[in-house]
Amino acid sequence: MKSYDHSFHAYIQGIILIGFALLMLWLVLSGNIVFYIAPMMMPFIYFAMITFFVLGIMQIFRSTSKDGEGEHQCSCESDHQIKGPAWVKVLIYSIFIFPIIFGFVLPDRMLNSEAAANRGIQYGSGLNINTTQDGTQGISSEEGSTSRADAFLEDPESYYDNNFGQDDDDIEHFQIEDFYDQDWFNEFYEEFAYELEQEDVITVTEENYLDVMTVLDLYLDRFVGKEIEIIGFAFREPDFEDHQIVIARFAMTCCTADVGVYGTLIESDEAHYFDDDTWLYAKGTITKGQYHDFVLPIIVDSYLVEVDQPDTPYVYPSFNR
Amino acid sequence: MQTTRKFIGKDLLGFGLLLVFLILFLISDQLNENEQLNNISADWINVNTIFLSIVLEAVPFILLGVFVSSLIQIYVSEETIQRFLPKNAIAALFPAAMLGAILPFCECAIVPVVRRLIKKGMPLHVGVVFLVAAPILNPIVFASTFYAFRSEPTNTILYSRMGLAFVLAIIIGAILYGFFKNNAQQLRGDTHGHIHVHEHSHNKTGFFARIKQTFYHAVDEFFLMGKYLIMGAFIAALFQTFLDRSVLTAIGSNDYSSTIVMMVFAYLLSLCSEADAFVASSFGSQFTDMSIVAFLVYGPMLDLKNTFMLFAFFKARFVIIFMITVTIVVFTAVLVLFGLIL
Repeated sequence: MKSYDHSFHAYIQGIILIGFALLMLWLVLSGNIVFYIAPMMMPFIYFAMITFFVLGIMQIFRSTSKDGEGEHQCSCESDHQIKGPAWVKVLIYSIFIFPIIFGFVLPDRMLNSEAAANRGIQYGSGLNINTTQDGTQGISSEEGSTSRADAFLEDPESYYDNNFGQDDDDIEHFQIEDFYDQDWFNEFYEEFAYELEQEDVITVTEENYLDVMTVLDLYLDRFVGKEIEIIGFAFREPDFEDHQIVIARFAMTCCTADVGVYGTLIESDEAHYFDDDTWLYAKGTITKGQYHDFVLPIIVDSYLVEVDQPDTPYVYPSFNR
Repeated sequence: MQTTRKFIGKDLLGFGLLLVFLILFLISDQLNENEQLNNISADWINVNTIFLSIVLEAVPFILLGVFVSSLIQIYVSEETIQRFLPKNAIAALFPAAMLGAILPFCECAIVPVVRRLIKKGMPLHVGVVFLVAAPILNPIVFASTFYAFRSEPTNTILYSRMGLAFVLAIIIGAILYGFFKNNAQQLRGDTHGHIHVHEHSHNKTGFFARIKQTFYHAVDEFFLMGKYLIMGAFIAALFQTFLDRSVLTAIGSNDYSSTIVMMVFAYLLSLCSEADAFVASSFGSQFTDMSIVAFLVYGPMLDLKNTFMLFAFFKARFVIIFMITVTIVVFTAVLVLFGLIL
C-alpha cells in the first residue's frame, strides 16, 4: 500500500475531469452539442460541466496536500484504489482520455441516412394507427386499419370501460402521476388539426414537426388536397422507384441512442436528381397513398430544391403541450 | 534524488495532458473542417456520435449517483439503516419496492447508490429490489411512456410496464434471497466484512471537511464506475450502428420469438429508461404489445452498459444468477400477463 501514489492519481484524475469539462464547454460554445444531446437534457449537461470543473480543481489541490492528514482517506479507502500493475493503470486512464480526444478531434456531425436505414423509417408519426394489426397480412382494409382508434374516437367512454377495467390492480400506485388523460390528447390534436385546416399552406417547422406528422396520421382524410411545405434530408428505401424519395428528420428524446426517423414520402419526377443525405425543401399537395402495409400521406406535384442543413438538424417531441 | 525525479516526470505527464486538452479545445474548430478527418467512413463517425452521445448523457446521472452514494457514506450510519429495515427478510421486500418507486434514479445512477447501501449493511436482496425497481418506477419514465404510447386509448402498455416492474422487483428480490440468504457477501473485495472499517468517527471533522470528503468520495467513485460506463457505451454504440433492425423484425413475427428478440434488443441497445419508450413505440407496428412490454421492462432492469458496472461491483456468480433470474422472470411474467390475464 506504501507504493500507491495518492497525489499522482488525484492529479491525473483532476486533469481528466477538467478535460471532460473542457470538452463539454467546447461543445456548448460551438453549438455542436445539438448533435449529441436533446435540449431537454441540457440542464444536466451544465450541471455536469460545472461539477467537473469544481471536482477537477479540487483534485489538483488534493494532490498537492501531503499524505497523512487524513485528506486521502475515507472509510472505504482500499476499494477506491486502482489496483494492478502500471499498464493496467495506463489502460484505465486511457479509457477516460479516449472519449475526450475523440470528442475534440473527430468531426461533430449528424447521423446520416445509413443510420436511418438501419433504424427503419417511420412514415408519419409512428403512432401506427393506420397500419394493419398484423404486418404480414398484406394490403390493409380501411375498417381493419383504423378500428381501434375509431372505436375510441366515436365512443371513448365505452371503449374505456371495455378495455380498461382489467388492470386496475396495477395502477393503484400511480394515481397521483396520472395527470394526463386521453381527453387532453384528443383535444390537443383536434384543435391543432383545426388550426392547420385554416391555413392555406401547412408549413412544417422544427417545432411542430412531430405534431403535424401525428395529425396527418390521425385525420389524413381531412387534409387530402391541401398544400404542405417541409424540410428534411433525402432518404430512399432500397425498393424505391426513381420518382420516389423520402424527406425525413431524426427525432431525438435524450441522446442519439434513442433517435427515430420520421419521414414523408414524396413522388416527384425530379426526385432522382438528389442524393441521399442532401437537405431538401419540398412543397406539394397531400394525397392518400399506400406503401407496403401503411396507409400514409404522400406528397405529389412537388417542387423540390436543395437547402442548407438547419441549425438544429434533429426534431424533438414536445412534452409541454 | 530518484524520487524527486520521478515526481517531476509525473508532474510533466499530467501537465502535458492538460496542455493537449487545451490545444484541442482551441483548434477543435479547425479539426471539424479538416478534410481527412471528414473522409473517415461515415459508419465510424456514426459510432463516434452515438458513443459520445451516450457518454455525455449518462455522465450527469452517474455524477448524481456517486454524490448520493458519498452522502450516504458520510452521513448515514449503519445503525440508521438497520433501524428502518423490517426484521423479516421477506417483509422488507414490499417497502423496498415502494421506496424504489419514490427514488428518482435511472439505471446508471442506481448502481453506485445500491452498492453503497449494501456496503452499509442493507441486505443484498433489498438492494436488488432497488436495482430493478427504481429505473422503471419513477415519474419521468411514467410520463415518457405515456407520451410515447399516447395513441393507445387503454394505456395497456403503460400500466403493464409499471405494474410488472413493481411486482417483478419483489419476485426477483425474493428469488435472489433464496439463492444468497446464507451468503450475502456478494460485493467484490468484500471478504473482510464490515465490522472494523467504520470505526473512525466523522464527528470530530468540521462541516467543510465533510463537504470535502463528500467530493473526494464522489471523484473516487466516478473513476471506479466511469470506465465501465465508457466501455459499455462504446459496445452499445457499435450495436446501434451496425445492427440492422429489419433483421430483427423479420424474426419477430411470432409471439414468443418476438418477445425474445425484443429482450435481446433491449439488452444490446442500452437505452436510458426515460427514452426507451420512444424507441419501443417506433417498433409498434411490427411487434406485439407483449414483446413491447418485455422490451420496456427488461431493458431498464438489465442492459449491456449496466452489466459492465454490475460485474465490476458484484461477484461474477451473483451477477450471472441475477441476470438469469431477471431474464426468466420477465419472460415468464410477460407471457402470463398477456397470455392468460389480458
